[in-house]
Amino acid sequence: MRDIIKIDHLSKSFGDVKAVQDLSFCVKEGELFAFLGINGAGKSTTINIMCGQLSKDDGKIVIDDADLDSNLDHIKRGLGVVFQNSVLDSALSVYDNLQSRAALYGLFGSEFKKRLDELAKLLEFDDLLKRSVGKLSGGQRRRIDIARALINHPKILILDEPTTGLDPQTRKNIWRVISDLRRTENMTVFLTTHYMEEAAEADYIVILDGGKIAAEGTPLMLKNTYSQDFITLYGIDEEKVKALSCEYEKIRDAFRLSVPNTAKATELIIKHPDLFTDYEITKGKMDDVFLNVTGKKLEGGTVK
Amino acid sequence: MKTIFAMIKRNMKLFFNDKGMFFTALITPGILLVLYATFLGNIFEDSFYAGLPDTIKLPEKVINGLVGGQLISSILAVSCVTVAFCANNLMVQDRANGSIKDLTISPVKSSRLAISYYVATLLSTLIICLAAAGLCLVYVGANGWYMSVSDVIFLLLDVVLLSFFGTALSSVINFFLSTQGQISAVGTIISAGYGFICGAYMPISSFSDGLQKVLAFLPGTYGTSLVRTHSLRGALAEMQSQGVPAEIVGSIQDSLDCNLYFFGGQVSVPTMYLILGGSVAVLVGAYVLMNAMKKRV
Repeated sequence: MRDIIKIDHLSKSFGDVKAVQDLSFCVKEGELFAFLGINGAGKSTTINIMCGQLSKDDGKIVIDDADLDSNLDHIKRGLGVVFQNSVLDSALSVYDNLQSRAALYGLFGSEFKKRLDELAKLLEFDDLLKRSVGKLSGGQRRRIDIARALINHPKILILDEPTTGLDPQTRKNIWRVISDLRRTENMTVFLTTHYMEEAAEADYIVILDGGKIAAEGTPLMLKNTYSQDFITLYGIDEEKVKALSCEYEKIRDAFRLSVPNTAKATELIIKHPDLFTDYEITKGKMDDVFLNVTGKKLEGGTVK
Repeated sequence: MKTIFAMIKRNMKLFFNDKGMFFTALITPGILLVLYATFLGNIFEDSFYAGLPDTIKLPEKVINGLVGGQLISSILAVSCVTVAFCANNLMVQDRANGSIKDLTISPVKSSRLAISYYVATLLSTLIICLAAAGLCLVYVGANGWYMSVSDVIFLLLDVVLLSFFGTALSSVINFFLSTQGQISAVGTIISAGYGFICGAYMPISSFSDGLQKVLAFLPGTYGTSLVRTHSLRGALAEMQSQGVPAEIVGSIQDSLDCNLYFFGGQVSVPTMYLILGGSVAVLVGAYVLMNAMKKRV
């Protein structure tokens, strides 16, 4: 897989505020890439620079083999962006919105109609075409935002916190569509999100803190490095758990033991087979990774 | 080109779909007409009678034609600019609500977007101001019609030219705005102030010498004078044919700003067209340059 996005020593400051500092990473074609960080970590600044909305102070960005400094138009043709807040025209109908945005990419007449039909089928908004965007529910509007981002057949779909504020069912539907697109069109998805369970589905994660990369890797690598494993042990007395000399917590019908890694868990099981008759081993969650990497707990975009 | 047309269509749809923006723009000339006719009509009429020698008795219709001409010229001169500002608010609103980001992430050049805002504002302004001009002509027709076909054609030409001017001026000023608060502030200043500095609310001839000299540098004053010249020409000619001496008619023309003076020298009608046309060209050029030189932050 080739690197479709290459960012090399990117820096950007706003006055004294260093929004992005010496950022370097790559995104492989077709992968789901997640950018994690609290508000102000530099995620949106990086995205805005990649889309040509902001200038950079230093560094190099190559997207789809085109240099951002010399070939921005080519890059823009291959990008689709779902912004944090919907930026469609509330007063216009869904059809008018998509028609005007399609025109920006040279899609007119039958070509536009064909693409509109494809997207309406994919995102199930056939019945919304004549409705004003301002009168749509949050979930409906998000589907139209995604349709707008996909109108130009982008190679890279940038999703800036796409599911914030949406109900679980709508989030699930949106992720179903995005997964389908990745599978059928080999689309690269660049995601920023506050939902750790969404980030955990990514192929590669970069955690930003204070404009710098605090950690990066696959979810497994991050969990192995920055989190620990848990063994949930059922049908056992607390006295026997204490004998294992592990940190534990009592939950409703079991005990949850913390172990540094899977090897240590295996070692325990082999050493005490009589105790491990009903158990399960789980990896730490992305919340634990984020907490251990940044020292901050992220809940719904705010730091706890 | 098709992209520019699509964006013009989008901008105009947004303007005419936004009831608030559209009605504010449309209602301005209407309210001005009602206010002028209700409160200022009699004052204008009395001042005309006061300016005439006692020996001359003019039919009421001529005075009504004169008053009507003055009213509609004031309304149209102001409306072409205020309506343009109102229509061009869309450009600022796009920045304020972030829609502009959705347009600029596409490969379309910002100069094309700038052209689409300009043309859409111009068309919206023309639609409203030409409709207002029609309404004004009906008003004059009902009160005292002395305008010739050429007067009407020139009056409409003046409205078109002033709409070009208003659109260009609003494009240059709105280029620097990016919030709703700034839109409101500039809208208020323009609505309240432009009518005075262009000589629509009060003739420039009634201002002090120093102020008259300063205002002579503003191109909008020549636009007002053109509209006034063409809306009053017929009524003034009728006065003269009814026996009012040419000197008195001339002094009325001076007092109503049909004649404008630049440091003592009278500015001819063709020169006024040149000044207004030139100003439009300079403002549009500045707008294009500003967009071309605009850098990302």
